[in-house]
Amino acid sequence: MSEAFTRQVVTFGRVLREAGLEVGAGRLADAINGLDQVGLGRQEDVYWTLRTTLVARREEIESFDRAFQAWFLRTPLVPPPRVPDPRETRPGAQRVRRDAQLHSDPPASGSEPESIGYSAHEVLRRKDFAAMSEDESAALARLIAQIDGQRPRRRSRRLQPHPRGSTLDMRRLARSTLATGGDAVHRRFRRRTQAPRQLVVLCDVSGSMEAYSRAMLLYLHALMRSGGGVEVFAFGTRLTRITTELATRDPEAALRAAADRVVDWAAGTRIGASLKAFNDVWGRRALSRGAVVLIVSDGWERGDNALLGREMQRLHRAAFAVVWVSPLKGSDRYEPLAGGMRAALPYVDRFVAGHDLASLEALAELLSGLGRRHAA
Amino acid sequence: MSEERQFESIEDVELALRAQSYLPERGLATALFVSLAIGKPLLLEGEAGVGKTEAAKALANALGARLIRLQCYEGLDVAHAVYEWNYARQLLHIRAAQEGSVSEQELFGPEFLIRRPLLEAIGSSDPVVLLIDEIDRADEEFEAFLLEVLSDFQITIPEIGTIRAERRPLVILTSNRTRELHDALKRRCLFHWISHPALEREIEIVRMRVPGVSERLATQAAAFVAGLRELDLVKAPGVAETIDWTDALTALGCGDLDPETVQQTLGAVLKYREDLDTVQGETVSELIRHARAVGSAAPP
Repeated sequence: MSEAFTRQVVTFGRVLREAGLEVGAGRLADAINGLDQVGLGRQEDVYWTLRTTLVARREEIESFDRAFQAWFLRTPLVPPPRVPDPRETRPGAQRVRRDAQLHSDPPASGSEPESIGYSAHEVLRRKDFAAMSEDESAALARLIAQIDGQRPRRRSRRLQPHPRGSTLDMRRLARSTLATGGDAVHRRFRRRTQAPRQLVVLCDVSGSMEAYSRAMLLYLHALMRSGGGVEVFAFGTRLTRITTELATRDPEAALRAAADRVVDWAAGTRIGASLKAFNDVWGRRALSRGAVVLIVSDGWERGDNALLGREMQRLHRAAFAVVWVSPLKGSDRYEPLAGGMRAALPYVDRFVAGHDLASLEALAELLSGLGRRHAA
Repeated sequence: MSEERQFESIEDVELALRAQSYLPERGLATALFVSLAIGKPLLLEGEAGVGKTEAAKALANALGARLIRLQCYEGLDVAHAVYEWNYARQLLHIRAAQEGSVSEQELFGPEFLIRRPLLEAIGSSDPVVLLIDEIDRADEEFEAFLLEVLSDFQITIPEIGTIRAERRPLVILTSNRTRELHDALKRRCLFHWISHPALEREIEIVRMRVPGVSERLATQAAAFVAGLRELDLVKAPGVAETIDWTDALTALGCGDLDPETVQQTLGAVLKYREDLDTVQGETVSELIRHARAVGSAAPP
């Protein structure tokens, strides 16, 4: 291939990188080798060769197509269809309030988180998340990180050496009988191990849930350090996956980013539609199959209650167990009479409170021992 | 098995797969051609039923190569994917040699080795297409192991040594995207997304795969299924479903789609009760009207 064209491809790689694709030197070499074999005779073949070598996932295909059009076909770049940015349509007041909170000076008195004594801790354990002050919230973050991050477990198909196992470990047995001339003096066993069960969390981050989802996400952030297999989604009017943000960054930042993306403050919560989005995309990829699904929401559905019921049923069929955490459940007088909660409840295996630290601890305990479904 | 062969061009690949009753789109043919030409594994993704596994099978036949298939599942380990020692034989051997002592070298020699798909593919001197099916079902430990195999095409058995591929097998991986694969694995592979075929191609596929089907029925069925994919379904039907359904319709002696036959046989296309509930009455009539309009020009 001509050097000029090689240079074209390399520059195209740079265009793709700017569009967000991961195009390393290896992939570029593949592309150039591939084109060498295919030839440059047909535009279609050049397209497919570059696509198969430079694209690694389905989500990148659209960006690739636009870059290809712009670079090789010299069509003017059409800006992508604009998704309305919720930040622009939302009343500015919300933002100002939150920013003000972020930058407010810490009170001068000696209320450092460390100085909270035992009784203060007890008070904090029972205090509603929404009623907490700035300082108490900061202390809360540390206390939450201390909750034992136990996960529900399932039997894995992997075998590991174990003295009381039930499957003979033939490999080690054969090796050990070498010394004894074919007599198995010591029998070695293996048995199936336990693996953490997939945990899928759908967290309502709409306005009324703000304080509670924050505490929940702090807890999940701690839980994710216990190993893989935790997937977290935030929803308000839309659904978005925040697993990556939660795993790598500051959980508070993840929460803010999620709220910016999924909450349309004027429209209220659409639980049913968000669950449908989950079932359609992630449920279809079998993410919820055999998983423990945790829904954190107060159940105030602004959309269609029938849709919520239908989607809950779908979710429930795929999941190992569905746990609904509602801050309202913490009140003694609360009865799930709101239409949304009523529609969802038949498909909930455990309905628990999530309004204070004590209830989070109870939830952690519930999760570690969740063995059987349908015991709400 | 046909003669071993190589491909000169993308058209070559298309024709050879066609001869195996598999109709690839140009993109897939290009991906396979490039994969063969530069010796890199190809990762095929797509909705269930678009023909990912079929593509590998057809390619193996077309190449006159042996197809070695590794079906992945959670907990798949080296003993089932690569090799295992034949312990029963080892123990017998130790017994038989009671008097003379058995050396470890003797016991862990090639004659006691059970070759599993990966070792079989690497060690084969004949041309091989290695199909690693539904890699997303295997766990991450196995994925990490696979990385090593796919980058060097060699397998190390501690007791014997390193076995290198005499000729690199063509490796095709498929994934249904039940989880995201590791980036390092993706870097070692070419990637192709198989989408649902265009109407014309689907008609052609159905006619090729369902013997004795009239052009009109094939057209109507393909148009009907294409219409279904536009609806908001739990699981949109793939080509595999179109083929099954047309098969069923042909077996029932159906010449033109009619509401009754469609209702009776829709279970071949839609596999969820919710979807069967969605596709009813007026929706079915509407789809049939559309399908018949598309198929009106085709001979019965």
